[in-house]
Amino acid sequence: MNQHLLDIRHICKQFGGNAAVSDVSFSVDEKQIIGLIGPNGAGKTTLFNCMTGFYPVTSGDVIFNEKKINNLRPDEVCRSGMVRTWQSVKPLASLTVMENVMIGAFSNTNSIREAEEIAIEQLQLVALTDYAGKKAGSLPIGIKKKLELARVLATRPKLLLLDEICGGLNKTETDTILAIIRDIRTNGATIVFIEHDMKAVTSLCDWIVVLNSGEKLAEGTPEEITHNPEVIAAYLGGSRHA
Amino acid sequence: MNKQIAIIALMAGVAAALPLMTGENPYFTGVMISVLMMAALSSAWNILGGYAGQYSFGHAAYFGAGAYTTLIFISRFNLNPLLSIVAGIIVAGIIALITGSIVFRLRGHYFGLASIAVAEIVRLSVLNFDFTGGAQGILISDVSLWGFDLNSKNPFYYGMLIVLVVTLGITLFLRKSKTGYYLQAIREDQDAAASLGINLSFYKNKALLISAALTSVLGSLYAVYIRFIDTTAVLDLRLSIEIILTAIIGGVGTLWGPVLGAVLLVPLAEMLRSNVIGDTLVKFGIVSASSGLGIFLKENLAHAHVLVYGIITVLCILYLPKGILGLFGRGK
Repeated sequence: MNQHLLDIRHICKQFGGNAAVSDVSFSVDEKQIIGLIGPNGAGKTTLFNCMTGFYPVTSGDVIFNEKKINNLRPDEVCRSGMVRTWQSVKPLASLTVMENVMIGAFSNTNSIREAEEIAIEQLQLVALTDYAGKKAGSLPIGIKKKLELARVLATRPKLLLLDEICGGLNKTETDTILAIIRDIRTNGATIVFIEHDMKAVTSLCDWIVVLNSGEKLAEGTPEEITHNPEVIAAYLGGSRHA
Repeated sequence: MNKQIAIIALMAGVAAALPLMTGENPYFTGVMISVLMMAALSSAWNILGGYAGQYSFGHAAYFGAGAYTTLIFISRFNLNPLLSIVAGIIVAGIIALITGSIVFRLRGHYFGLASIAVAEIVRLSVLNFDFTGGAQGILISDVSLWGFDLNSKNPFYYGMLIVLVVTLGITLFLRKSKTGYYLQAIREDQDAAASLGINLSFYKNKALLISAALTSVLGSLYAVYIRFIDTTAVLDLRLSIEIILTAIIGGVGTLWGPVLGAVLLVPLAEMLRSNVIGDTLVKFGIVSASSGLGIFLKENLAHAHVLVYGIITVLCILYLPKGILGLFGRGK
């Protein structure tokens, strides 16, 4: 059996008596794009937090690159090659766009010049070169989302976790982001992304995992998922399929 | 960056020439030593508070650690003053590492409160131990270094100036280094910083260690300069607060803000203390000496410098959130 890049094994996360995530397992292979979907409160972001060291898991294991990483700190997870973006963007407000991306690049280099080179490269990829000198806090949301993307790409991740990278964007902005994701996919990126926009998910993903109330409801190809009656009931509109 | 180095060199040159131009004027030199010391203290605090965004309200602990360690080593073991300063750095560093490992788990206001608690623990310990002289403090007689008499003010003027220049140099270097960028990332958003691979506690501790070491050197210099210390002089919460207010009023997170703050505030405090302001108001007939206000000024203004600091701080936070330096351009 060949090893998966990421293996989520029976993850449970409880807050007090509340199970936010219970017994969720799935795996991600290299160069795959996995969609993680589910209604609000399904536990998608909580799962991301557990995977990246922001929350300790109650039980279960996260195996990344053949190593158990669920006891690592967030920065160690990042340096091991798995990096996440934030649903509510977290720009380093008083720093410039360029400096924001450089800070991502510093996870691979100590040299200012190399960090600048990596940053310029990533800014070109997301078409933010014109904004390089602007303060990150002053930008509109669409630009901030692109900045999030450039910043995590600058860490040269093996696996990208994108948390609603298109959330709050209009159609044009969403399309630009999706085009960038397609771009990095052809370069061989592996991505897990949380998204509400079903069109985006089905058009991009090789495999979809559906969460509902903290449990894994289903997983499969986009084709299978969009025709799964349980998923349709829970996620795409429960009343029609009662 | 080269421009800033030039400005630092220019400032250092002017400051170094100052005692030669003014001749023998102990009062003026004394005030200038205070200005340089507060500028350096506030700049050292700024590395942690301004760049890493960790507002320490307990920097007196490191000042006191330097002051006490140095005077204890000089008075009890007759150690060379320079080695005593190094001993002070070590003690301050140990306190910083212990503090950091515990307190940096906390964020925001909680970190500030915990830093006060640590400083108070240090103060009360010093007050109650025997080897620190307890409430009596420590008094030393004449000090000399390599046969060179340290009883005049000029050596300390230049000592403080050197520490200030070193502190500004370190700040400038840090600002354009990976560590400097990482500290600013931590200041802006700790979760984002961690998610981008920044080891929060390592970099916070690094900033604290640099800041504490510089602060302790200033404490050591001060102690040898004054030759008498007690907990009120070097470990008081008031000192920690003055360091912060100087930085806030000048401009937090900027290279020159803390220096500007000290240049403006220390002479102001000195004028209040020596009642120059009250006397001037009376002298020019703005306030009558026998009136209620005149008597009030004469009796109370001298003790009011912290109150004045407080009022200026409130005004700064309301109208100049980037400090006085923020008035000039980008405030970098």
